[in-house]
Formats: sequence, C-alpha cells, structure tokens
Amino acid sequence: MKRTFDHPAPSERELTGPKYWRSLDELAATPGFKAQVEREFPADASTLNGVDRRQFFKIMAASFALGGVGLAAGCRRPEKHILPYGKSVEEIIPGLPLYFASAMPSRKGAIPILAETHQGRPTKIEGNPTYAPYGGATNAFVQASVLDLYDPDRATVSTVKGAAVSAAAVQDLLAQINATAGDGSGLAFLAGQSASPTRAALVAKLRAKFPKAIWAEYEAAQDEASASAAQAAFGQNVKPVYQFAKAKRVVAIDADFFQSESHALYYTREFSKGRKVVKKDDAMNRLYSIESAFSLVGSMADHRLRLASSHMLAFIAALAGKVSGDATFAPLSQGLEFKDQDKWLDACAADLLAHKGESVIIAGSHLPPQVHAIAYALNVVLGNVGKTVDFVEVPAGNAATISTLAGSIKSGSVKTLVILGGNPAYDAPADLGFADLIKSVPNVVRYGYYVDETSQVSGTHLHAAHYLESWGDARTADGTIVPIQPMIVPLFNGLTEIEVLARIAGESVTDSYTLVYNTITGLVGGGNADHVFRQFLHDGVLQGTAYKKVNVRFNAAGLAPIFSLAPKFVALSEENLEVRFTFDAKVDDGRFANNGWLQECPDPITKISWDNAILVSPKLAKHLKIDPAGSLLQVARKENADYKQGKEQAFIGEVTLNGVTVRGPLHIQPGLSNYTIVLPLGYGRTVSGRVGKGVGHNFYPLRTTSSLAFATGATLKVTEDVYALANTQEHWSMEGREIVREENFKEDGTTDLGFVHSFGTESHAPSNLGEENSIAELAKLSPEERAKRKALLAVETPRGQSLYDHPNFTGTHQWGMSIDLNTCIGCNACIIACQAENNIPIVGKDQVLRGREMHWIRLDRYYSDGNIESAAFGGPGNKEIPEDPQVSIQPVGCQHCELAPCEIVCPVNATVHDEEGLNTMAYNRCIGTRYCANNCPYKVRRFNFFDWNKRSLDELYMGPLGKSGMPELVKMVKNPDVTVRMRGVMEKCTYCVQRIQQAKIKQKVKAGASDHVEIPDGTVKTACQQVCPVDGVTFGNIKDPTSAVSKAKALQQDYALLGYLNVRPRTTYLGKLRNPNPAMPDYAALPLSRTEYEKKNNPLHGKDSGHGHGHGHSDHGNGHAPEAEKKGEHHSFLRGNNLFGGLS
Amino acid sequence: MAAHAHTSAAQPAILNEVNPTPFPRATLVENNRSFGWVTDKISGIIEGKTPTWWWVCFVLACCVASFTVAGITYLVSTGVGVWGHANPVNWAWDIVNFVFWIGIGHAGTLISAILCLLRQKWRTSINRAAEAMTIFAVVCAGIFPVFHVGRVWFAWYLFPIPNSNEIWQNYRSPLEWDVFAVSTYGTVSVLFWYVGLIPDLAVLRDRFFKAGNKVRSFLYGIFAMGWRGSNRHWSNYEMAYLILAGISTPLVLSVHTIVSFDFAVSLLPGWHTTIFPPYFVAGAIFSGFGMVLTLMLPLRAIYGLQDLITQYHIDCMCKIVLATGTIVGYAYGMEFFIAWYGANPNEGFAFINRAFGHYAWAYWIMISCNVITPQFFWFKKVRENTAFVWILSIFVNVGMWFERFVIIVTSLARDFLPSSWGYYSPSIVEIFTFFGTFGVFSVLFLLFIRFLPVMPMAEIKAVMPQADPHGHAPTGHGAPELAHSSKH
Repeated sequence: MKRTFDHPAPSERELTGPKYWRSLDELAATPGFKAQVEREFPADASTLNGVDRRQFFKIMAASFALGGVGLAAGCRRPEKHILPYGKSVEEIIPGLPLYFASAMPSRKGAIPILAETHQGRPTKIEGNPTYAPYGGATNAFVQASVLDLYDPDRATVSTVKGAAVSAAAVQDLLAQINATAGDGSGLAFLAGQSASPTRAALVAKLRAKFPKAIWAEYEAAQDEASASAAQAAFGQNVKPVYQFAKAKRVVAIDADFFQSESHALYYTREFSKGRKVVKKDDAMNRLYSIESAFSLVGSMADHRLRLASSHMLAFIAALAGKVSGDATFAPLSQGLEFKDQDKWLDACAADLLAHKGESVIIAGSHLPPQVHAIAYALNVVLGNVGKTVDFVEVPAGNAATISTLAGSIKSGSVKTLVILGGNPAYDAPADLGFADLIKSVPNVVRYGYYVDETSQVSGTHLHAAHYLESWGDARTADGTIVPIQPMIVPLFNGLTEIEVLARIAGESVTDSYTLVYNTITGLVGGGNADHVFRQFLHDGVLQGTAYKKVNVRFNAAGLAPIFSLAPKFVALSEENLEVRFTFDAKVDDGRFANNGWLQECPDPITKISWDNAILVSPKLAKHLKIDPAGSLLQVARKENADYKQGKEQAFIGEVTLNGVTVRGPLHIQPGLSNYTIVLPLGYGRTVSGRVGKGVGHNFYPLRTTSSLAFATGATLKVTEDVYALANTQEHWSMEGREIVREENFKEDGTTDLGFVHSFGTESHAPSNLGEENSIAELAKLSPEERAKRKALLAVETPRGQSLYDHPNFTGTHQWGMSIDLNTCIGCNACIIACQAENNIPIVGKDQVLRGREMHWIRLDRYYSDGNIESAAFGGPGNKEIPEDPQVSIQPVGCQHCELAPCEIVCPVNATVHDEEGLNTMAYNRCIGTRYCANNCPYKVRRFNFFDWNKRSLDELYMGPLGKSGMPELVKMVKNPDVTVRMRGVMEKCTYCVQRIQQAKIKQKVKAGASDHVEIPDGTVKTACQQVCPVDGVTFGNIKDPTSAVSKAKALQQDYALLGYLNVRPRTTYLGKLRNPNPAMPDYAALPLSRTEYEKKNNPLHGKDSGHGHGHGHSDHGNGHAPEAEKKGEHHSFLRGNNLFGGLS
Repeated sequence: MAAHAHTSAAQPAILNEVNPTPFPRATLVENNRSFGWVTDKISGIIEGKTPTWWWVCFVLACCVASFTVAGITYLVSTGVGVWGHANPVNWAWDIVNFVFWIGIGHAGTLISAILCLLRQKWRTSINRAAEAMTIFAVVCAGIFPVFHVGRVWFAWYLFPIPNSNEIWQNYRSPLEWDVFAVSTYGTVSVLFWYVGLIPDLAVLRDRFFKAGNKVRSFLYGIFAMGWRGSNRHWSNYEMAYLILAGISTPLVLSVHTIVSFDFAVSLLPGWHTTIFPPYFVAGAIFSGFGMVLTLMLPLRAIYGLQDLITQYHIDCMCKIVLATGTIVGYAYGMEFFIAWYGANPNEGFAFINRAFGHYAWAYWIMISCNVITPQFFWFKKVRENTAFVWILSIFVNVGMWFERFVIIVTSLARDFLPSSWGYYSPSIVEIFTFFGTFGVFSVLFLLFIRFLPVMPMAEIKAVMPQADPHGHAPTGHGAPELAHSSKH
C-alpha cells in the first residue's frame, strides 16, 4: 500500500463545498486535477504519486550505508515536497555534482561506473577507476546509456492487452503466475544473459520451486562456441582471459577484441600498453589480424589479411600446421588460398615461434568451436598459457537455448511465457519464427525497458526500471562483483528484473535492495557483512571476487567430437557469397536503437550514421557494376561510393540466402574479403521510439539457428533503387598529405621517433618558433630539457620570428593536450563522452546528410594504399578503390590554437583567448557570422543551424509553426555546468572548461590565503580523456614541464597537425607507428600513407629509392630494400612540389 | 567645373602652339541639340504620363522583390539551416551575392568620381543612372551580410555602440572592416549622388511650378534646397562636387579591397592570396560596367536617348569592360602561377580542384563569361551592335557572380583536411532570396527613372559645343574642357 506523508487527503465536505485550497499542493492532490495532469503530462505523472515511503527509507538506509557519502544517492527531489534548503541536505552543495559507484550491466558482464549526479539527477557516466582492469575507462554504449534513462519514448506504464495497469495490479499479476505455476509445467522463461549473482540465485530458487519450468536464455550475440571448445579441450568450465600487455605478438582470428568480444575494455587497455612507444628502445607488439569484416582491430593491425569468416578454420589449421609442423591439420586447411599464402604463414609462424610464451592467439567468439579449439591448442603449443593467456573457472551455464524453448512452445506445452529483457521477436534466429511462437502462447508476460516488437506480440508488458534507477549486482567479465545502485527514484516506478523474478518465485523478500544485500552478504559471510556491503557500495567493486585462475591441461583427445563436426571448406565466388553478421557499432544488436547519441555517432570504419548498410568489397562492387566512375579528370581520389552533391547515393541491394531476401543500401567497403558481404545487425526496428523506428534495414531475417554469425551460399542483386546514406566523411584518402604521420617501428631499436618532423611542409619551412627552437635544435635536447623549453614557449612573448605580439598568456596554467595516434583505436567513446558532458544536441539523419552534425570531436578515418601516382590527375592508383587499405584514425577536436585563426576574424569578439591558452566561445556574444568556422583549418567548429534543443528533428523546417521547447525528461540529462546553445551560435570543444573551472575553484578554496592555486597535475580530466580506454589523451598544464602532458609533448614523435600554418595548436599528436614483419609478403618499408606522401611530394626520390609501392596491399614486397628505409633527408623545395606534375 | 576653368585659365597660351593638332573628339551630344532640347528631353521623362510598361514592370518587380522578403522572413524565423550551408561551406550564396552586388555598385562611383577627376567628359550621360545603380546595388548587397548571420537580432553588435558589458568590436576582423567600408561607401555614394542632383531638382521644381503642379514643385523644391543657379551656388556646388569626387575615389578602391580582405586575410587555400585586392577591384569595375550596359541600353532604347548616350559612350564602356575583363583574366592566370610557384601543396590543390574538381562547371562558366566574353569588344562591329553588347553584358554579370561562387564555395568545400571535405548546393530558399534582390533593385531603379532625372542635365550641357562661350567648335580648340558656369 502506498503511504503518503504530505497533506491528508481532502475530506468529503471539503470536496463538495466551495473550492478553497490550503495550498497548491492540496489542489494538486484532487483526483480531477491529478487526472488532468496525468493526461496532460504523462511523463511527469509519476511525480504526483509521491514517493513510496518504504522506497524512500530503503534508499535513505542505503545512502547512510555509504558512510556519510550522502543522502542524495538516488533520492530524486520529489517536486511535490520541495523544501528550501534552509538547512542544507548533507553533502549536497548546490552546483557541485556527487559521484556514486555503480555499474552498467551488459550481456554476461558489467562495466563499473561512477555516475555523476546533480541534485539527485544522473547526467554523466564515468568509469570507476577502482576497478583496475578498466582503469576508469568505459565505452560509447556506457556513455550513451544515461540518455536512455531520460528517453521520452521509454515504457512508462505496465500494460495488459494495451491498457495501462497500476503497480498493484502488476504485483497481483506476478503473484498470480506464482500461484498457478504448480510444479512449473507450462511455465517458461526467456531471459537475456546476465552476470548478476542475485539473479543467478533467484533462478536457482525458481528452478527448485518449479522444477518443470523452462529457463531459457538468449542473446543475439552468441559466444557458446568458445566455451564449448574450452570445455572439450580442458575438461573444465573455463574461459580464457588474455593478457595483452605481456604479448609481443598477437594473432586475431576474426576477433574484434577492441569492441565486440567480452572484456573488450580490458583487452583494449592492455593491448595499448604493449603498443606505447616512448623511447626508441621500447618494445612494441605486433598484431596480425585475419578478418572478413573491417574491424578496429584490423585498422590497428600491422598485417591484416582479408579472409572469409568461413575460411577461418582452414586458416588457423594452416597456421597451426606451420607452427607445430603437425600434418594432421592439413585436411582442415584444404582449399585455403590467398596471395602469398605460404610465405605469409611461414613468416607469421616463425614470428610466433620466435616469441614463445609472449604471444596471444585469439579467435572471434562467433567462430565455430573448431577454430577456438585450435586457437587454444596454439596457445598451449606456444607456451602462452599461464603467461599471456590465463584460464579462469566460470560457473557452468545451465540455461536452455531458445531453440529448445521454441520446440516446447511449438508442442503447445508452454502456457505462460515470461520474457525478461531482450527482444526475441526481433532478434531471435529467423527460422524459429519466434514472434509467431510468442503469439501462440496463451499468457505472455514481457518485462522490458521499451515497448518493442516483442511487447507488441505479448499480452502483458511490464515496464522496466533503468539500471540507473535500480538496485542490483553484476559480475564483470573477469568475475568481479560490482553493485548497481540507483541514482534516482524510478522515474516511472519501473520494476527491476530481480524484483520480478523474486515475486514470481514467491519470495518473501522482493525488494531489490534487500535481495542484493542478502546475496552479497551471503557471499562474503562473516560477522562484518554489513561493513563489507558498505565498502562494496562505496568502492563499486567487491575485491577478490574475480573468477579463479586455474591450471589447465590440454586434452587433445577431448576435441575429437568437435572436429568430427568440422564444417567443410566452401570456396566462394560472386555466385556463392558469404554473409557475415556483425553487430552494429552504434546500436549493438538493436537495443540502442532509440538512443539518438549512438544513432548519430558515425560507425568507426564506414562513418555512416543513422543507418546500416550491406558492406561489399570493391571487387564485388566492380562485378556488380556499382563501382563509382569518378570524375573525368580526377582531382581528388576516387571516393568509396558514389557521392552526389556530398551525399552518398547507395544502390539498394538484395541479399538472398536460402530463399530469404533482405534489402539494404550497398556501401563499398575497402578491405573486405572479396566475397564476403557484411550485414550489420540491429537496424530496421519496426516498433521503437521516435528515434529508432524505421531507421536502417533489418538483416535478422537472414539469420538462422545454423548461421548465427555467417553463412555461405548467398547471392546479391543490385536494384535500381537509390538510398541516401548519411556518411559523415565523404572522402577516404589523405591525398598524400602529412595528416596522420606514420612510420614503421624497428625492433632493433633504431626507430627514428623524430620521423614526424622529416616530412610535411614545416619540415622544410623555416622554424616559426625561431632558430633556437627549431625542430632540429629541440631534438638535440634531453626530454626533460625539451619539456622545459616547450613549457617556456607556452608563455614567452614575443616568440620566434613572429612580427606580431604573442597573445598574453599570463595564466597560472597553460592548458594543452596530447593525443597518441599510436594507441588510439578509434572506438568512438570520446565522441559520446563529449556529447554527454557538453550537452551536444543530435541533428537527425536529414541534417547529417547535409553535413551539420554537431560533434565537438570527430574521428577522421583515412584509407591509404600507397598509390597516388600523378598525384592530382587520377594516376593508375587513383582509378581503383583500394582493396587492401591501411586505416589511419585521427581524433580531431578544437586544437586551441595559440594564434587562433578563428579569433582574428570574429567581428564581435565572440571567440577569444583566455590567459590560460583556451580558445573560448562567448555564446551570448556570438551573432553567427560563421567566419570562424570558415577560417578554421581543422573544421572543428559547429554551427547551430536550427534550434536543435528546442525543436523536434522532424519539425526543424517548420520554424515558428512547429512546436517549441524541450521535453521535461530530456532537460534532465543536460549537464547544468554547460550552457545549452540556441540557434544561430557557433560552438566547439572547450577542453571541458567547466571541469577546469571546478578544479580551479576547489584548488583556490584549498589554497586559501596562500598562492598555491596551481592545480596538481592530473586533477582535471577532460571527458574524452576520462573515457579513453587506451589513455590516448593527455591533458594538463604545459607550463609545468613535469606534467604528463608536457612529457608527452616533449616526445620526439610530437607534432602539430597543419603545423606550418603557424597557428600553434595546443593540441598536438604523437605520430603513429606500425610494426610490420619484414619477412611478411605484404611488408612495406613505409606505412602506406607515408608512401603516398612520398610519391606525391617527392616523386623522383620516391621512385628512385624504391619507395614505390605495388598495387594493393597484397602485392607489395617488391623494391623495399632495407636501405631504402632511411628517408630523413630534407626534401628539396622544388622537387617536393609535384602539384602540376600530371599536367606537364 | 569652375575649378577646371580656373586652372585652364592659368595655362599659358603659347602651349597651344606646340601642342599637336588635337585629334577630333567625338561628339558627346549628337544632332547638334540645343540646351532646351536636353532639358525637355530629360525632364519630359518625369513630366510625362506614367507609361503602361512602367506599371507592368513595377508590379512585376514588386512581386519578385517579395521573394526576398519572404525568404528572409523564413530565414529569420526558422534559422540559417533553411539555406544550404553546412560544414565546411559556411558561406555560400549569401556572401557570393553580397560581393556580387557590391561589385556592381562599383561602376557608379567610378564613373562619377574617378572619371570626373580624370576629366572624362563622356561620363556625364551615364553617371546619374550609374550612381543610382550603385546605391541600389549597395542596398541589395547590404541585405546579405545582415541577414546571413545566425542571430540577426544581435547584428547591432557589429556597430561600436557603447554597452554595459564594455565589449568592443574586434577591429582585426575583415568583417568589421566591411561594416565600415560598406557603410561609408553607401553614405558617400548617396551624398555624391544627391549633390549632383541638386541643380536638376531645381529645374524640375521650376518646371512643375510653371506647369502649375504645386505639390511636386514643393517636394522637388525641398530637395533642391533653395538652388537658384547663382554664381555663388555654382561655385560652392562645384567645390562640393569635386571634394566628394576626391573622397569617393579612394572609396571605390577601398571598398572592394576590403571585401577582398574577407578572403585574403583568412588562411584558406584559394582565399589566402595577396592578389585579391587589385583583382577584386578590377572585377568589380568589370561587373559594374557590365551592369551599367545592361541597364542603360534598354533605357536608351525606350526613351529614345540615342543622342545623349551615343555610340561613343557605348564604345567607351565596352572598352572599359574589355580592359578590366582582361585584367581579371590575367588575375585568374596569375593565381594559378602563384599556386604553383608558391609550392604550397594545399594551395596548388585548391586551384586544380577549382578547374577540374566537383565545381569545375562553375569555374568554366566563370572563365567563359569573364575571360572570353569581353574579348569580343576588340571588334568595332560588335560594339556597334547594341543588342549583342547587351547580351554580352549579361554574360559579364553572370560570369562575375560565378567568380565569387568559385572563390568562396570551392575553396571552402575542399580545404586542408580531406576528412571534412563536402559539397554545397543551395536550397530553394536562398535561390529565391537572391532572385528577389533583382526585384528589390528593379523597384528602386524604376522609381528612380520615374521621379528623378536619369541624366545630369546641367553637366551634359557643360560638355555640349554650345557650352563654349567663345563659340569654338569642340574639335577646333586645344582646351575644349574650358567649361563655364552659366548652364541654364
């Protein structure tokens, strides 16, 4: 029963008599008014119900349990009971955020977070640094999850047959299931995978109570193969945990361990540790990636081999044969064929053998168990187990599969189906026809966050609470238990999954907090359980609960049953294509379809936002005759698809597999395996919110139980229809410009880390910082000296040979940033983190098509193939889309130029420098001439062409005739420290000035009368820096030569993008290194982008010294004599200019 | 012209003997017309009944002008997004149109001021209309920079108005220079035009008074500011005119120089070039004369002004178009040379991209119209074919619009980082807004020819043979410009 603790309800006499109210509150309590409000503002209706007293006290108790951290944990100020902060609530200082530890659950794992709350309102998620494996990093999904909390389209009421029902009715309904279940026959559950110990305990209880009930789990992303192979190979329930930091050689078999594999954040972090090169005698790992799609792992790879997913088994068998010399692998590798195959495999195998115990062989979780088995075997043979590959014991999964459940439903034995989370009607294997199966079950109770395809076919929909509104627990991928704490009272009184389960199980304890408390205290036991629980909530991790590392014994004999089922090698061709299903980088398996931040975040490789596409290789595109013609006189290099007026015009293709056809736009993706077409899943939702509905194309109908990850035998037909794709980067080539500067790492310690200065215009232009500060002079100094000199340069005035006075940089701090291109994997997390931190609006597909996306930081993705002959005029290399490109990714935000070109041209002084070197925007002063954006060489300024924040995206062109204003719910996600910009003003990266200011104020308070106002290094972290899993962003005070950023900038490979413009950006980059194996057939003496640069700017030099590059990645290896590698020479001005070379 | 007379009087007579025989000067008013005929002819346009074609044109022009009004209303109420701009092309038709109209505005002041100082007497027939054209073009030009900003209601931030925040303008910004350059140019052009009008307004005042139209006589009288044609008036008038000519002359050069700084001061490849000021000024004069021809030739035909705007006038204008067009062509070539010679890869790319990239069509329209078209004017036959001259003048106008488009849009669309490259295409709103400015211009110009003398009667008379008090034929004397003060 709900108890209220406000005004007593009005009496009969009061209601019938003349209307006087003692207060507005009382008026608000009348049923008529309530009903009216409920109709008027369904979104806010919940707030009128008041706060359940029990709930309130629960949260209070939990908050106190935090040991004084505060009352605010999860206590949203009920608007009805607003009291002035006459006596302040403990710990709450208006204007200052509080952080609480929690975790975002994901399939089979969780990511520990700290949620930033403003007066009880979560606005931003940060990673929890207490959890060492992730070190405070998170990913784009976590960053964007806070938007889901305030999604106006989320399910706000529970419904039975479409009619809203009260919370009490829902509880009755759940009690009813319990009461009628009997021994469980006829009762079935279908849940998403979860790593919650509490849920596991409840499931166990359910099974005990209802032994005949079916408990099935399903996720669209499956990783059963890896587990079953491990079980077979080691006879134990174990899973591998890779230690990439210790690995010098990594072979990734179709494994995107940066994004889609479980524990990806840890792997990314560890991998980057082995990639970081500070001194030239530092070691650097080498990554071989064999993949069918183009993943970020492939973009980081030193050697990337395009191979169909269905050929991975043959590949790993061939590799295993080479490594072990064992001929038994030969039958499995029968049929495998790729260019320079033997040379490739020999060199790779030799490299692995030379690094025994220091390598990692990792296979993609979607691959068949045979691949995993061989990968485990290889790790064993190479002595990696226990060194770079640990095996941990994991609890056995005993859930039924969705196929089993489908069988039961078909047989008619399921009377009540409880669907917990997931969206099986949309993403279950198509051959099951699951939506229809759901319809055939008499009683379907579906618990979910959104009203989706599954809700539509279910009689009952129970609306879920967001994880930021819930009590819960979870295990991270390594098994560590983390708490899920509510930051706010459930906005719409949604239920948690464990509460639903507890009620169905008929538990006496059903509230989530107590359930979690019992689980955790039950796990740790002892007398001090309470204290442990408090510590657990405070830290956000329960230390020491990670899965136990076990010693495994490889048992080849156990694998026999697996290999007896090994699939046959199928050769592919234009008529027999392979389809490979991936999960879209933006919406995952479709669960984030209604998240605007994610939708608008361009795919890291294709750069397509708001859509998925059928990705085809250039070769296949040519065969299909959708290869773009390019312009007659090719100035810029051929683009990777047809762009008409800046919009990617994609032909619609039809993929047919086993008689089923799906349609989607065709995007030509360089670097795909020739006959593999990649189908990213997660789009084409038919029932979703306003953001996600009808966006993209649904490829799930092709996916069957037997082909969850890939299948062969598909055909592709091109139709006449054309579809516009909102691609944020039209142009794929660097045009041979020195933008991302790359060099090959030399393992003998002779890498010239100053390579970044040996090319580019500034390498042969006079130093714009004065002779004594020229690159050559600076290079002579020790790193410490260099840091000191650079720190001085940040404030000295005037500097160098400039005619003009230097801006007055008198501040205590001089802010600067360093971005390490060598470790940046291009995961997009920084884009979303920045969006969440800085209230960056989304603009919708139509506006992205026009090029008006608002991201303050973007990731530029360039392809290079080493071909740029006759630079400007479509030389031979320019007439083909590269089949085997190298990918270079560069994050670009405002560079905070010391001599900012945007500032000079603003007529009204709306963008100006502050004394700490920030290029600031005074939004109130901006009139929107857009001159600054024109004059910005980095094109990082973003203009508010419309009132993005006030207008709905489909009414942007309606002007005053459209609705105005932001939904209340959406307002709540805004960071109160950052202005929400109106139309007509320019905006851009501020280096998170609000964080700087907060740190400065804190430091000033601390300093008191003293003048210790300088913030200690590392106090301020920009949003992009905080989220970065590879610590690729360093930010701080460059005036202090001992700060991390100064040290980064003092590295030899530090360079300024477009440095020759003398705008003196405060953001500089560390050059990118690649570590190719000279013995490999595709070895290139120079990274391909560098080859392009040399060919364009130094054609004679480039040709004579053998830098010329064969066509395509797979046929280089000729003419790259090692002595040709030295190319630090000063390029002659005249020779270096081949602009008109094609003309003459 | 009193000043001329004064200096000429000081000229030693002996020089006449050593001067070569003067080349016969073309007659500026043909058929030996009298002063009275000139007055009647020009005043008659105003005094006559409003012709039907005028009403038709006027209503049509108003309709066209409403496109601008509607376009701007939509723009201001909804946002700059209704135009086609986007990153990286943040300026496009707005600034193209601004520079285009400002350029057109060049001919008027050039004709009135520079040709006045250079004593080019043929200017007298065309200067009034050209000056009017200047002012109306500046009005059209002014629409764009004001309304292209994101928050037009704060456009007053551009002006140095003291405010409580004590924020001053940024005087380093070429846009701020524009504010002063264009407003000064507009003001001085209006003053110059008005001062020149005073004697003619007095004529109209007197003529309406005689005709018994008291109201119009009164109104013209107010604007004639009590002009009596006395020697003292003429003397002050000539001095004022000369001073204004002196002030205007640098403005002709400065305003387009400063407009060119909008681009030259930036660091964008294709914009950041020192050739821009002279190149822009030449282009502006080129386009200005193109527009004068476009307007004057029909006017001449409609009102039968062949005696006043003679073939000689047309020849002169064609030759200026030829000269400035060739300068512009040279500038195009020189840009390419410098892009190569400067050895800056980005700069080089920008120019190759202009000629052969995605906007090559615009570039070749520009080259055809601006470089090839004027070359026809080498031929006398062409210059004498009025219809052909008129068509060519349209090409000049089109070409000069494309020149600005090429400079602004192609440079922005593909600059330093290929990742941000884009393509701009206009929205229907900006096409209509631009189209409407021709209506605005036409409305103003139609009102001008209806209510104000399209030619300076007083000045024309001063260059007629009858103006020579000594009765010399214009060709027979070494100093035919010895004008006198009694004109009416």
